[in-house]
Amino acid sequence: MSAPAAPDGTPRPRRTNTGFGRVLVAVYGIFALAATARAAVQLLRDWHEAPLAYALSALAAAVYVVATIALARGGAVARRVAWVAVGVELVGVLAVGAFSLADAEAFPRATVWSGFGHGYGYVPLVLPFVGLWWLWRTRPGAASQDDTPSTTSTRTTTDAPEDAA
Amino acid sequence: MVLPLLLLVVAACVALAGWALVFVARDRAVILRQLWGAAVIEGLILVQAVVLGVLGATGTAPSDPVLLWGYLVTALFILPVAALWAFAERSRWSSVVLAVAALTVAFLEWRLWQIWNA
Repeated sequence: MSAPAAPDGTPRPRRTNTGFGRVLVAVYGIFALAATARAAVQLLRDWHEAPLAYALSALAAAVYVVATIALARGGAVARRVAWVAVGVELVGVLAVGAFSLADAEAFPRATVWSGFGHGYGYVPLVLPFVGLWWLWRTRPGAASQDDTPSTTSTRTTTDAPEDAA
Repeated sequence: MVLPLLLLVVAACVALAGWALVFVARDRAVILRQLWGAAVIEGLILVQAVVLGVLGATGTAPSDPVLLWGYLVTALFILPVAALWAFAERSRWSSVVLAVAALTVAFLEWRLWQIWNA
């Protein structure tokens, strides 16, 4: 196959939906799917069991869906939407996580954000931080420095590969 | 839910994820052979669906069939999306996506096992 498709030294266009951003969109997409499915089942079948928790499930699902779409689009407006969505997500996971631990009675049923997302390997807790970091890193202001295709701006990705085996 | 089949799917997912992570470490994009591996996993999930359908028809239905089928159908969608990604993103990040997708399917299989035994 074509081995070195993208030479890594070249300045990449600062978009939220390429490179690492694609991973982020993928993970957000998975959570949008998981949270939506969960909320749908909860709301349609056992709404009366835990209205508060299930309403929060639905909110979480909506936030993930909006964040996924906004990050995948990556335009100026989408970027602003993504900031808000990821921000709400961060507040949500922290607030619901704290409340679910402090007042377990109010959360008899689990949401994606319960216990800081421990049911999902704490990914829901880490994800908003990564999302905010990525939005900050790809912000348009930073793009102006790297936009000129000069060979000197070697902005290599410093992301450590997760070594397996 | 035939346990050996489920374990086979999980093992295949973990193997594919490991393969993809090696590619991440080597800074390589997903190759076609890995997508064939993903296709094999898809086939195995389809076999699971058939087995589930037969078991359901013959009376050994799970306590929560809606949830079970929801997870099974969701598991079917994950890898094809990662495959599309692999064509769109020709960098190491496609390998990361494939690894994440494979591990997600493995997680969904584990949940299937939980729901089946619930």
